[in-house]
Amino acid sequence: MTDVGGLAIPWLTKDALDTFLAGPERAAALWKYPALIVLAAGVQVIFRYFWRTHLFGFSRHIEWDFRNAIVAHLQRLPLRYFTHTKTGDLMSRLTNDMVSFREMLGMGVMAVIDAAFTIATSLLLMVVIDPWLTLWSLLPLPSITILVLLIGNRIFDRYRDVQRHLSTLSTFVQENLAGIRVVQAYVQEENQQRHFDDLSREYQALNLDLVKHWGYVTPVMTVLSGLAATIVLWLGGRKVAMGTMSLGELVGFYGYLGMLTWPMLAIGYVINLYQRGSAALVRLLEILDTPVAAGYQVPGTARVSKVCGEIELRNLSFRYTPDAPLTLQGITLTIPAGTWCGIVGETGSGKTTLVSLLPRLYEPPPGTIFIDGIELCELPLQTLKQAIGFVSQDIFLFSETIRDNILFGNGGATSEDLETAADLAQLTSSIQEFTHQFDTLLGERGVRLSGGQKQRTALARAIVKNPPILILDDAFSSVDIETEERILEQLKGFMRGRTAILISHRISTVMEADQIVYLKDGRIVERGSHEELLALRGYYYRLYRRQLLTRELDALSDNGGARA
Amino acid sequence: MKDAQAHQDEELLGKAYDGQLIRQLLRYVAPYRLWVVASLLLLFLTTGMQLLGPYITKVAIDTYIAARDLHGLNVAVVAYLITVLVGFVSQYAQSYTMQYTGQRAMHDLRTQLFTHLQRQDLAFFDKNPVGRLMTRVINDIETLNELFGSGVIALLGDLLTLVGVAVAMLALDWRLALISFVTFPFMLRATTAYRKRARDTYRDSRRILARMNAYLQESISGMATVQTFGQEARHFNRFKEINTQHRDALLKSIQYNAVFFPSIELFSAISVGLVLWAGGVMILDERVLPGVVVAFVQYVHRLFTPIRDLAEKYNILQAAMASSERVFKLLDVQESLVEPATPTHPVRLRGEIEFKDVWLSYTAGEPVLREISFRVAPGEKVALVGATGAGKTSIISALCRFYDVERGSIRIDGIDVREWDKRTLRQQLGLVLQDVFLFSGDIARNISLGDPAVAEERIAEAARRVHAHDFIERLPEGFRAVVEERGSTLSQGERQLLSFARALAFDRPILILDEATSSVDTATELLIQDALKTLLLGRTALIIAHRLSTIQFVDRIIVLHKGRIREEGTHQELLAHGGIYSRLYELQYQPLA
Ligand SMILES: Nc1ncnc2c1ncn2[C@@H]1O[C@H](COP(=O)(O)OP(=O)(O)O)[C@@H](O)[C@H]1O
Ligand SMILES: Nc1ncnc2c1ncn2[C@@H]1O[C@H](COP(=O)(O)OP(=O)(O)O)[C@@H](O)[C@H]1O
Ligand SMILES: [Mg+2]
Ligand SMILES: [Mg+2]
Repeated sequence: MTDVGGLAIPWLTKDALDTFLAGPERAAALWKYPALIVLAAGVQVIFRYFWRTHLFGFSRHIEWDFRNAIVAHLQRLPLRYFTHTKTGDLMSRLTNDMVSFREMLGMGVMAVIDAAFTIATSLLLMVVIDPWLTLWSLLPLPSITILVLLIGNRIFDRYRDVQRHLSTLSTFVQENLAGIRVVQAYVQEENQQRHFDDLSREYQALNLDLVKHWGYVTPVMTVLSGLAATIVLWLGGRKVAMGTMSLGELVGFYGYLGMLTWPMLAIGYVINLYQRGSAALVRLLEILDTPVAAGYQVPGTARVSKVCGEIELRNLSFRYTPDAPLTLQGITLTIPAGTWCGIVGETGSGKTTLVSLLPRLYEPPPGTIFIDGIELCELPLQTLKQAIGFVSQDIFLFSETIRDNILFGNGGATSEDLETAADLAQLTSSIQEFTHQFDTLLGERGVRLSGGQKQRTALARAIVKNPPILILDDAFSSVDIETEERILEQLKGFMRGRTAILISHRISTVMEADQIVYLKDGRIVERGSHEELLALRGYYYRLYRRQLLTRELDALSDNGGARA
Repeated sequence: MKDAQAHQDEELLGKAYDGQLIRQLLRYVAPYRLWVVASLLLLFLTTGMQLLGPYITKVAIDTYIAARDLHGLNVAVVAYLITVLVGFVSQYAQSYTMQYTGQRAMHDLRTQLFTHLQRQDLAFFDKNPVGRLMTRVINDIETLNELFGSGVIALLGDLLTLVGVAVAMLALDWRLALISFVTFPFMLRATTAYRKRARDTYRDSRRILARMNAYLQESISGMATVQTFGQEARHFNRFKEINTQHRDALLKSIQYNAVFFPSIELFSAISVGLVLWAGGVMILDERVLPGVVVAFVQYVHRLFTPIRDLAEKYNILQAAMASSERVFKLLDVQESLVEPATPTHPVRLRGEIEFKDVWLSYTAGEPVLREISFRVAPGEKVALVGATGAGKTSIISALCRFYDVERGSIRIDGIDVREWDKRTLRQQLGLVLQDVFLFSGDIARNISLGDPAVAEERIAEAARRVHAHDFIERLPEGFRAVVEERGSTLSQGERQLLSFARALAFDRPILILDEATSSVDTATELLIQDALKTLLLGRTALIIAHRLSTIQFVDRIIVLHKGRIREEGTHQELLAHGGIYSRLYELQYQPLA
């Protein structure tokens, strides 16, 4: 904590005292020195103000930049990354690790510069007094290197473990809170508390283990400066005793050596900050080092003014991970622009996988998917995404207003568009019941809506984009039949000239489609129109029979009179 | 809008006073007071050794070196070495004991906070985003930990030094002492001004951090949606705004620190200047010895060292106070669902459910259930049918006492749910929630939730009943296969089957299925239904479904419309009645015929 102003004050004080005691201009000095001291302090304050604001400000700006860079990077990472990375972990990195990194930059750099300055000036003054004694007194210093080599890595590893565990803790809390309904419904509170207690205890143990190593650093630094002082006392004392050094010189030397104590401690502090900061940095860089999704890496270059909506799949096979079995196998399918295609199939047969390849949420193998005859990777990503209105099976709504949610994909839509979309999705009557109408806040993931309302909000969100291609992945599973019927009726008008893919378990939803495919274990086993498929008497027919059967059973029991 | 609300919610927390906060914090340290005492003693030892060193030096110089006594010098050197080594051990032990106390206290606080959150009702979670609560449990507690890490206990040492030096100065020359204290009132003013501002910026930064976490939480979980809609850039810009606010709040605190800390130096210099001036005058008047002035200048330096130290730590203290304020306010939030004074723990449940004129509203003045009255006899199976948003899920939430009814009463076995012990009540209910939630872990753990009461065989049995074993067995590790967060690597239908299996594995007397198979294919659904028929023997069940085929085996159907019961009866009765139900029925089958 020393700079020019700081060094000047002891000097001035010494001069002042000398003058008062013996100087000829004692009366004049009465004002001069105090004024000079305050002036020096004033200069120092200004100097330090800029010093601090710049250095700390700098670390904050870097933190800001770095965090932005990571979040911007996250936006473009492949979805696969998020399925295998925990939300709580990412959050912990972006907050806790970021703080450690920033402290290394701010406090660390400041301490280093401060220490270097003080060490340089004191050493200089010491050398002036006695170069040999200086050299001897520096003897313990190389052991700092040994210290760093010996425990630096251990501290680093332990910091990394601590940060990693903090991520685990954070992940656990995140999942627990997100799933609190299940926790409470199944009375798992105590179970969860026990688990959390274990995790927190382990965190505590890791921290204490860290302290065991980290705790050495500062005392060792104190010892080192103590040893230096001992050497000076012993050698210097002998020199004075032998008359090769004056007592005043020894005292002065001692004073400067004392000035080295603080920077030595600062070095210890910096060693810790550095180990922690670099452990954090490694964890942060891990995110940045993950390559972004293919679509962002090589932007498509095809010039398309308007997507018509013809979709062609050529012998498409797909697996989620290189060692996983094929989820889709040899899918070949053409959906002409402006037609509807229905997809039915068992749970887990690959329907969702198939449609999530279209907006490139996962990367299809090359040469397999074409839109308007252009291969998917040739299309600029924005064009592609704008062309597709997607209602996913797993609806995600943001904790904003209904309006913000519907306009999510199309901020430029007018309020008329908004209302039309809400109308089409049969959402208007529900919205009218809310006090704040379109400004109703939905809460996290749309908790304030019923399941069907969520699905319809998602439908409106897709419609308002006015896309040439609409994909509805089981979009009516929580919607009652009557509402669904009305939606489909209205969609018919809206969809004129647009391509649609409808996934459903209900035959009634897909039966009017231009073509229907039946997926089984990732293959298309049947395709054709409703009538054709019925005539085939295969899987589709059996599905139809099953859905009909229930009615026939009812009819039977109708005829057979009262039920038990 | 969202931000505005978050802002408001957090502002409602109000502001607590330091004294109160510190007292609350000390409560968590109290169990470890022996450690604190040990740490304090070690601190004194360390400080003592550090003070002893210079004293030995002085003696060595003044006595031995001046007298050229080499033997005495050797003794002094050895003594010095001893202080250094003892100091090393005690400093190490002191930092460990302090950290130990801190870690233990923070563990207690953290687990208490977590436990507290587990008990909150759903209305609380509807209002508080996960990310914000995480900030409290994780980040704020970490900030508090800094308090111990930075050795705030050393503050006590600083204060002691301060008092000691002041007393010594007064004893030496009270006039000069008072003159050097002249800056104190100004320094206090500066400190108060600083504290107020620093605290506000720290408060701001905590609030914005919570917002940032909430935003991150949401945007990471919603990344698929963001990418599907090509909203990456816009979404990032929203984050950038919050990040900028966060930075600016902290830049402000840097500004305050940058004025405050150096200004302490200024005060110190002014004090030195004053002492020199007054001392000079007094030397001229020969009212004081020059040596006293020399000593005073050194004392003033000594006096300001702990003050400077205090100032540096004040910063950490302010940050910690801002955090502890939030944490304690969260701990103060009362459970809004009152636990009964004498809760009922019935031994054997018959399984009778009765709703009597029930009204429920999530927002005051917006009832979503009105005048709901019905009775489900023990062992009866009843279906709830109705348009989306009619209030089916709400009926179930009220039954599980996730929310309290506004009017009327819900009784199970004739006992009002508000009289039940909440946990016992829920232990009677096997619930398949409409919103499937899977935890990261493995398949078996998702079915049993890690509850030791659920036996291994029951997990497999439940999976078989819902025909989840088909897909589970296809996975390489079967029941040990990894489930990612929210089950994101499973198809929606598979997730639903797991959540269904969970309800069966827990083997509860009342089963509640809220659209439990809505994403499952028809073939599997029919198989599950067959299984259900045997499974539900002797159990009461409430079933919600849109595919009417799913509910054809129930005894009675209740049709809801806009929060009211509109029709009630058997399938046949309702068809004959020709109302909503018969219309739904026709709609479902007409197109197929
Ligand atoms: N992100 C993923 N990673 C790995 N496997 C997945 C992923 N998503 C789905 N799967 C697996 O792929 C298969 C097909 O899933 P999906 O396409 O969702 O089926 P569905 O036809 O029910 O929509 C399922 O067995 C599922 O477990
Ligand atoms: N947590 C909540 N907070 C506020 N409103 C809610 C909440 N949950 C549901 N609602 C509202 O209550 C009404 C009934 O919802 P719900 O019971 O989920 O309907 P459903 O019959 O489709 O299950 C809906 O209008 C919905 O918007
Ligand atoms: Mg699917
Ligand atoms: Mg519902």
